[in-house]
Amino acid sequence: MNRREFVALVAASAAMTAPFRAFADETCQSPYMPKITGQEEFVYVWTLGVEGMGDEQDKLVTVDLRPDSPTRGQVINSLSVGGRNEAHHGGFSADRRYFWTGGLDTNRIFIFDVHTDPSKPTLHKTIETFVKDSGGVVGPHTFFALPGSMMITGLSNDDDHGGRTALVEYNDAGDYVATYWMPTTANMQGAVAVGDAVADGYGYDIRALIRKNVMLTSSFTGWSNYMMDFGQMLQDADAMKRFGNTIVQWDLHTRQPRKVFNVPGAPLEIRFPWGPNANYAFSTTALTSKLWLIYEDEDGEWQAKDVADIGNPADIPLPVDISIAADDQTLWVNSFMDGKTRLFDISNPHKPFQIYEKTIDRQVNMVSQSWDGKRVYFTSSLLANWDKKGDDDVQYLRAFSWDGKELVEDFNIDFYKLGLGRAHIMRFGSSELYSS
Amino acid sequence: MRLLKKILAVSCLAAVVPVLWYAMVTSQAAASRPFAAAFNASEEFQFEPPAPGSYRLNTFKAAPDGQVLDIHGASKNLSDLTSGKISLVSFVYLMCGDVNGCPIAMSTLFEIYETSEKLPRLREDVQLLTISFDPSRDTVEAINSFAYPMQIDEHAEKKLPWHVLTTSGMDALQPILDGYGQVVDRSNDQDVINHLLRMYLVDRQGNIRNVYGLGTIDPRLLITDVETLMMEESRS
Repeated sequence: MNRREFVALVAASAAMTAPFRAFADETCQSPYMPKITGQEEFVYVWTLGVEGMGDEQDKLVTVDLRPDSPTRGQVINSLSVGGRNEAHHGGFSADRRYFWTGGLDTNRIFIFDVHTDPSKPTLHKTIETFVKDSGGVVGPHTFFALPGSMMITGLSNDDDHGGRTALVEYNDAGDYVATYWMPTTANMQGAVAVGDAVADGYGYDIRALIRKNVMLTSSFTGWSNYMMDFGQMLQDADAMKRFGNTIVQWDLHTRQPRKVFNVPGAPLEIRFPWGPNANYAFSTTALTSKLWLIYEDEDGEWQAKDVADIGNPADIPLPVDISIAADDQTLWVNSFMDGKTRLFDISNPHKPFQIYEKTIDRQVNMVSQSWDGKRVYFTSSLLANWDKKGDDDVQYLRAFSWDGKELVEDFNIDFYKLGLGRAHIMRFGSSELYSS
Repeated sequence: MRLLKKILAVSCLAAVVPVLWYAMVTSQAAASRPFAAAFNASEEFQFEPPAPGSYRLNTFKAAPDGQVLDIHGASKNLSDLTSGKISLVSFVYLMCGDVNGCPIAMSTLFEIYETSEKLPRLREDVQLLTISFDPSRDTVEAINSFAYPMQIDEHAEKKLPWHVLTTSGMDALQPILDGYGQVVDRSNDQDVINHLLRMYLVDRQGNIRNVYGLGTIDPRLLITDVETLMMEESRS
């Protein structure tokens, strides 16, 4: 009796006790988490509190996106967490019931319950011991859900507050599991430096291609830089040397580093496509303004190369967030300094080219799009001390529709006018994800 | 006195020999063919499993206890079943028709069950557990029917033990689900139970050492983790 015969026999024996029915099961469609493939109902915006504004605290802001709702396009809830933490990124647990967010300065991790009432998240748990748990990691940044656990990238460490850092894993209950330090030239941990790569030990984003057992991490800068005034940092030659220049390939299952690629100029976000045969990922470099491709070559070896410029690199537009379309054909690329979003045709990932651009505002950071790509959302804040000053410091959530040719503004929420603060990462919510 | 010494000597030998034997066979196995080599590679998993023992398995948390029912209706402590053996635990329901759900877990466990006949060393150390999260329909009678292929299997004694379990109802089940972290979402349509496919590796001490989801439920990967746990035990 083989595996297939067994399944047939089990189905037959089960049918003896109850009728067999075929069901669709949304929650099983993703190896990571259930996705909202229809209309997103809410967007959660992790927002930095501003001294002298409103309650001055970091907060999770919920905006209504339900098409028929009388409050569509409005803030319907705001949950403050009691202080300012340098609110930055966040991610859902694999069951999408909880939204984990981090504070880059205080190292607090806030876990919000978004399933009990998706229109009104509540604070479920706060982890106050990230640095102690992890053995000295500072700056919880990306929250990447794995089955049963949350992998968190650090940005820094509590020894020198530079960029050397680690990945930190917690279980779904919010209990510490393990720390995986990034490879350095002093301790490569079995990884190989590709070409002239120098393992700097820096961290930023993390993504994985489970089918290939490949995990990638990128590299930014440490606490001493991301908490420094942006203008001051640009004048500090030593500080400007303290940026990451690497992307690391890991064995996803064993959490062991395999390769260190030379990707100069602070590679930030990493995005894998969705296609079943798409064995590559994109990243962008903040300081050198390049679009990078990390890909599996014909020999099954992973490689990295820059494949396009983003704007004019000499102008340092500072590429920040990126968003890949569900059909893998296009990639939105935001650049902070010129406030622009650019759309790249990535149908040939080795030769992407720009097909559209639009100035969103005087500064722009994050971009999120709906599963069908027809709705695109932008927020404004990079870091409290890096955001522009004066009139250029605009803080917003702006929603656009995209018809394949033009971004047309749908609504614009002024986060300063509402006394909320600096709008950073966005994540979508929907009551359709939870049937009880 | 001489008799006592003989008993003590035999007792010590009985305690030491299995450990030495196990250390010997696992080191031989590591030097030769890993357990995963007994399984065929699948197109779904486009990578080779790591070498057993070349990595560390973390401890996620303690596996929960609870009352379960076996295929004969006997009530048992879940912790009594899981302690003393390495367990692969999965939550399923028999009516699940989602191709990305329970059938993957069941067929993967079945492949391990069938292939284990080629790996006789595993039988004393490893077992499979499936626990229904649909106790109202997965009655003792229903899980008994499910387990029919194993019950009539003439080679069952040469394969891994497979505990097919259900519970008396949601009051007994929910703490077990919560403890493992298995999310189950019951819709208004009572026939549909949305769930995330999960499988758990539990060590002999009752600790969850790995959690698997869609994309990682590869029999080669699961058995490599089992072998890694066995090597860890032989070293400690």
